[in-house]
Amino acid sequence: MSIPTSTTAERKPRSNNLRNAGGGRGTRSGPWPVVVLCTLIAAFSLLPLGYVATMTANAGWDTIEKLVFRPRVGELLFNTVALVVITVPLCVVIGIAGAWLVERTRLRGHKAWAVLLAAPLAIPAFVNSYAWVSAIPSLGGVFGGVLISTLSYFPLVYIPVAAVLSRMDPALEQSGSSLGLGPWKVFFRVVLPQLRLAAAGGALLVSLHLLAEYGAFAMIQFDTFTTAIYDQFRSTFNGAAANMLASVLVLFCLLLLLGESKTRGNARYARVGSGVQANPPRLPMGRLEIPGQLGLAALTVLALGVPLFHVVRWLIVGGPGIWTGSALATALLQTLGYGLAGALVTTALAFPLAFLAVRHPGPVTKLLEGANYISSSMPGIVVALALVTISIHNVPAVYQTAVVLVAAYALLFMPRALVNLRAGLAQAPKELDEAAQALGKPPLVAFLKVTLRLTAPAAAGGAALVFLGIVNELTATLLLAPNGTQTLATEFWSLSSEIDYTGAAPYALLMILLSAPMTYLLFAQSKKAAGQ
Amino acid sequence: MTTPRRPAPAASPAPAFAPDAAHVTDHLLVSGVRKSFGATEVLKGVDLTVAQGRTTAIVGASGSGKTTLLRLIAGFEAPDAGSVALDGVEVAGPSAWLPAHKRSIGYVAQDGALFPHLSVGQNIEFGLPVRGRAAASRVAELLEMVSMDPAYAKRRPSQLSGGQQQRVALARALARQPELMLLDEPFSALDAGLRVATRRAVSKTLSDAGVTTILVTHDQAEALSFADQVAVMRDGRLAQIGSPFVVYTRPSDRATAEFLGDAVILEAWMEGSLALCSLGGIPVRRPSVQGRVHLMLRPEQIRIAEGGNIHGRVVDTDYFGPETTVRIQLAPIAVDPSEPVDPHQPVGGEVISIRHWNAMLARPGTQLSLKVVGEGVVFPWDG
Repeated sequence: MSIPTSTTAERKPRSNNLRNAGGGRGTRSGPWPVVVLCTLIAAFSLLPLGYVATMTANAGWDTIEKLVFRPRVGELLFNTVALVVITVPLCVVIGIAGAWLVERTRLRGHKAWAVLLAAPLAIPAFVNSYAWVSAIPSLGGVFGGVLISTLSYFPLVYIPVAAVLSRMDPALEQSGSSLGLGPWKVFFRVVLPQLRLAAAGGALLVSLHLLAEYGAFAMIQFDTFTTAIYDQFRSTFNGAAANMLASVLVLFCLLLLLGESKTRGNARYARVGSGVQANPPRLPMGRLEIPGQLGLAALTVLALGVPLFHVVRWLIVGGPGIWTGSALATALLQTLGYGLAGALVTTALAFPLAFLAVRHPGPVTKLLEGANYISSSMPGIVVALALVTISIHNVPAVYQTAVVLVAAYALLFMPRALVNLRAGLAQAPKELDEAAQALGKPPLVAFLKVTLRLTAPAAAGGAALVFLGIVNELTATLLLAPNGTQTLATEFWSLSSEIDYTGAAPYALLMILLSAPMTYLLFAQSKKAAGQ
Repeated sequence: MTTPRRPAPAASPAPAFAPDAAHVTDHLLVSGVRKSFGATEVLKGVDLTVAQGRTTAIVGASGSGKTTLLRLIAGFEAPDAGSVALDGVEVAGPSAWLPAHKRSIGYVAQDGALFPHLSVGQNIEFGLPVRGRAAASRVAELLEMVSMDPAYAKRRPSQLSGGQQQRVALARALARQPELMLLDEPFSALDAGLRVATRRAVSKTLSDAGVTTILVTHDQAEALSFADQVAVMRDGRLAQIGSPFVVYTRPSDRATAEFLGDAVILEAWMEGSLALCSLGGIPVRRPSVQGRVHLMLRPEQIRIAEGGNIHGRVVDTDYFGPETTVRIQLAPIAVDPSEPVDPHQPVGGEVISIRHWNAMLARPGTQLSLKVVGEGVVFPWDG
């Protein structure tokens, strides 16, 4: 997992009126074949969590004590906690400040800045790390980790917050002003509280990314749980040590999920009343114009300029020689192949879940969604570990095949497809399906001609985001790819690990070029999602 | 023009208040229908008969089960018990199930449910068999039928106003020449002025086409003006079925009376066919109870009349422009001191609300004379 789609939309409840309850001869919880299918998908998505839990339970207390309570784990714990505790607040502050400048002030060029602030998402964190190591070879430790991950991940807060800011009902702020608050007080007492959900959602995503990231930290030799699990796994293959570290990591993730849901509580900030919404007001910058421009420029130079500059520099240093040979073309083709296969499989698996969630909201659906939400928050390394072991022991026929890798992609990127499909299905209410049936179309035809047709654009959007995730996925791909697999990410990784920075540069460039349009899509979509 | 596949309705329409005339056949027969969602029983045994070519309104508060009943008739839901028959053929019941798309029923949803990805013309053609689609003139015909310019066929649903969307939805449903048209609160999303105009247009189109129609609504005025049979739904049951005039003037119980319009409810003592109350003795046709009762009159039955024999004092007024609501304190019921008094006899002296066109006439404190026109309805005393 590496990029959010709008978290605000993701967990938005569907209003459930009686008209939506039950359908045809089905029950309230949905037609049973769909429920069975969804249960299977949810069970599949719980594999990694189940694996870690089983391993931990089987290990016995002595093993746990021996493997978990030792100085090495303490060191990893310190690094990981320090990383999260410093990076997350930084991302929140930068994200909110950037979003506010871009969406709510008359800063010159705010439209261009709006795109530029989202753009760092197109650069995989491990490519960012590679560029920074090129710039400062000695970079490392907590400082290096915080620097790189802040620059890579602040858009995860910026995008949802900007989306909410741009759609916030100006009437609330006007009420604040009419009650005697000045502009700053309005911001802190009216605007900021409304950003809480978006910011908390973004912060959660940043934290989960920090826990899951392998490449960026391995590159600067900064040890976190994920890098340690990876090393353990490489050296001992299926050691209990890797499993124990994984269970600590999973525990971390679960704590974060819990924390975020506590912050969120039952709060839902919906606009009350109807009517056309005016655009929110923009404040004049005045004397703050220059500091504002400088701040955004500095941020853009660090997050976008440095990586692009160094990728281009290595390309120039390498000359035309680095483009020859078939390796690059092979990697591009394989990446596209995995991306497309993964996007299709993930979207297909997500569809029944989204369908159930929108058309038959209820306790069963909630449970299934919850299972999917938790399991998709598992770091790639845990998913990979689980799938390796399970495939070896239970289905050896698929071990070391593309099937397992695509399965991992589906587990990791399902929420992206789910969020989009849900939004799409919400645009295709059941009433339209029924209208088609009343016009003489059999249920299946009605479903194809209306529901599926109306959901198609959203499904394509979701599939594109899954594709983007797969293109930039490194950790699970390294562990699960069949022998001989060369994707852009794995080739980039093996070349840069051999300090062949010039040879790695074309791969970095291709990944950035593939990601750029989809990052823009994500950015554009977040604006729409917040308005729903 | 649509030519209904079934025979055209009888040339001479049945008299408005005798819907069960022999030559009219039952088109829809709903009997003993029950439906629950989870633990909530939404329909608790509903019986309804709709005659060929007639218009029935099912009216009730939200949550009374009226939309569920409509969805059962349409085939979007199946009843837990009871049956639905169309033209004498059971389409839903213990041993029968005909899915929605095979029922030859037209359905217009609350918001029209136009397909957003299709143009107006494509929406209208949607239900037609592919070979029947060729004629653009058919679409134009249908649009004209719902009083819309054929040029609209090229537009997108999102470019239409709410009233236009409703009319396109109706044209789409009419395209297949259904025998039964179901309208689920089709006017409720429209603003007041548009609502009346759209309702008239729809009503005219449907009666011209001779389609049997069922309208679900929570708006009693809409139900009374649209239909020639009104079914009042309450708590999952049909409390009363009858012509608009009958259900309005002779409601079967107090809740129905109050739901269908403003009602003046007075304590009264029923003796023979006369109800004794603060307004004097009011005639009641075929009273179901005697003794202590509630008497119901419609406000428009009570008029301010020079020389009337009922007296009251104006408490206050609400001015609405064309008319004024006047609240009047009535005098207590006069008791003959020589006769023994039944402790259950009403004492009267209630405050009632009536309407009057002249706001100047009724200033607070004014003494007024009133008279009552027509008959009252009595309901058993419920404390």
